[in-house]
Amino acid sequence: MELLLNLTINGLATGMLIFLLAAGLTLIFGLMDVLNFAHGGLFAWGAYSSVWFYSLTESFVIAILGAILTGIILGFITEKLIIKPVYGNHVQQILITLGFMLVLTEMLKVVFGPNQIAAKTPPYFVGSWEFGDVIIIKYRVFIIIVGFLVFGIFQYILKKTKIGLIVRAGVMNKEMVKTLGININNVFLYVFIAGAVLASLGGALMAPYSGVIYAEMGMEFAILGFIVVVIGGMGSFPGSLLAAVLVGLTGSYMAYYVPSLSLAVNMMIMAIVLIFRPQGLFRVKG
Amino acid sequence: MTTKYQWNNIFLTIIVIVLFIFPFVTDSRTWTILLTQIFIFSILAMSYDILLGYTGIVSFGHAMFFGIGAYTTAVMLDRVEPTVGVFILSIATGMVIAGIISFIVGLLTLRLKSHFYAMLTLALSGLFLVLAEKWRSLTSGNDGFTFRAPEVFKDRMVFYLVVLVCLVVVYILLRRFVQSPLGHVLVAVRENEQRTKSLGYKVLHYKVIASIVAGVVASLAGALYAISLRFVNTSVLTMDITLDALLMTIIGGVGTLIGPIIGAGVIELSQHYLSGLAKDYPIFERWIIFFGILYILAVIFFPSGIVGTIRQAFHKRKKPRVVEEKPSNSKGES
Repeated sequence: MELLLNLTINGLATGMLIFLLAAGLTLIFGLMDVLNFAHGGLFAWGAYSSVWFYSLTESFVIAILGAILTGIILGFITEKLIIKPVYGNHVQQILITLGFMLVLTEMLKVVFGPNQIAAKTPPYFVGSWEFGDVIIIKYRVFIIIVGFLVFGIFQYILKKTKIGLIVRAGVMNKEMVKTLGININNVFLYVFIAGAVLASLGGALMAPYSGVIYAEMGMEFAILGFIVVVIGGMGSFPGSLLAAVLVGLTGSYMAYYVPSLSLAVNMMIMAIVLIFRPQGLFRVKG
Repeated sequence: MTTKYQWNNIFLTIIVIVLFIFPFVTDSRTWTILLTQIFIFSILAMSYDILLGYTGIVSFGHAMFFGIGAYTTAVMLDRVEPTVGVFILSIATGMVIAGIISFIVGLLTLRLKSHFYAMLTLALSGLFLVLAEKWRSLTSGNDGFTFRAPEVFKDRMVFYLVVLVCLVVVYILLRRFVQSPLGHVLVAVRENEQRTKSLGYKVLHYKVIASIVAGVVASLAGALYAISLRFVNTSVLTMDITLDALLMTIIGGVGTLIGPIIGAGVIELSQHYLSGLAKDYPIFERWIIFFGILYILAVIFFPSGIVGTIRQAFHKRKKPRVVEEKPSNSKGES
């Protein structure tokens, strides 16, 4: 029983990290019709910059804020330089964002060195709570709380505010929003930056969770993110939360019971969903 | 039109003859090995061009077929015996396996839109990578294994010539393929899928054929690659191989067949020299950055690559002459 509970908490925490990455992907895809293959790069940059800020200031809050700042800057640059020139051309988008991913990953190695870097957990999150036989690691609970908090905040913005209304309308019908006199290009930029911030926040939370960071982790997590986006349905925010939790939990259970198949199972879920329900489990009505 | 073709053919023949004579006049081992490598990756990049350039499909799983070819040849030469006969048989087996797998994968996935197809191939090639790492009794996982190549190929020069012959044969066959009616349908699919469908062509059918051809040729490249190293490990299945093919095709010129060959040459040569420069300037250890930037610029500004851009320049110069019946130098210069 306690094993199952531990695996569940572990899976939920991983799922939340994947959710932060996938939420940005799905928003960007839903609104802008752009599949951002460079998203994993933003995730890795978030992780590296948070570790760097943490080693400078020893403050976890500043580390997180630093990662968010990195996300804003990189998101702005990516949208303006990489995505803008190729709006509307799917093949070129895939190619160019993949190229940018390459550049982002290699730049990490130039700036921070090619070796793995150890990431410290802030002292107040070290350790665990014990309830009889059940041991709950504090930091994992923290990640899960942050994940739900982010989901709540974004859900509130999307459903209750004017900007959220515009974004949802844009997902359904871009032309109509444009006709109503809204500069959709600005909305694109904000949404892209929001997605980049989510990714880098995910990276920042990831660093103390796994203990080490390395440049290739961006691509590894991006693949999980794609799987989640496909399973959850492109453009669906709740869908990506559900799919991320599903992928996190499967990964966690499989890693314990059948370790050699943990990645394969997720890919198989995605393949099955794609073949039988290509629009994903949740579909954004348009 | 015919004269243009003839000139092109004569030009290509001369280059091929020069490449055939090359190993007889020089005995630089580095160059022979480097050129062999370029030829092998040319074959891979050409096969990728069938998908990306002619059919307009972005696949991120091309390493899968490369890896299948490499592993089939390596395992068969290792387990059976290192002779030329087994080598040819292993190439054929690899091609058949790659063909069957690309048929199944294509049938399942090519119905999907480009985004999903790219992601699914990425996932599938990841699956193959995991499979190769776990199936240690066959592949020895990440450590890989060395095997003995047939005696004849011990001589670098012989192997160079074999690979060159393969390259020329593959080029001729693929050119026949893309100039056939079937190839024209593929181009039509790339240009306008809806319209091709409404003209009565089974688009899925043609896409699957393109993916089988590309998969089979890629497995040949993989087999040759395994022989050239006499060693194989899971790196033949990694994303890097797909990325190499992608870069070569884009930089050389999509949809031209000759472009990927030039792209392979450019990338392999500059890789060789840039990593040589790394001793003096540490930044060149990360030479991939330059390719990434070059590649992004190529996608934005020269979507047709080296060969495509040159061809466009030629057409621009020729066109006014045909229309206005007089050479306009001012336009040619500007």
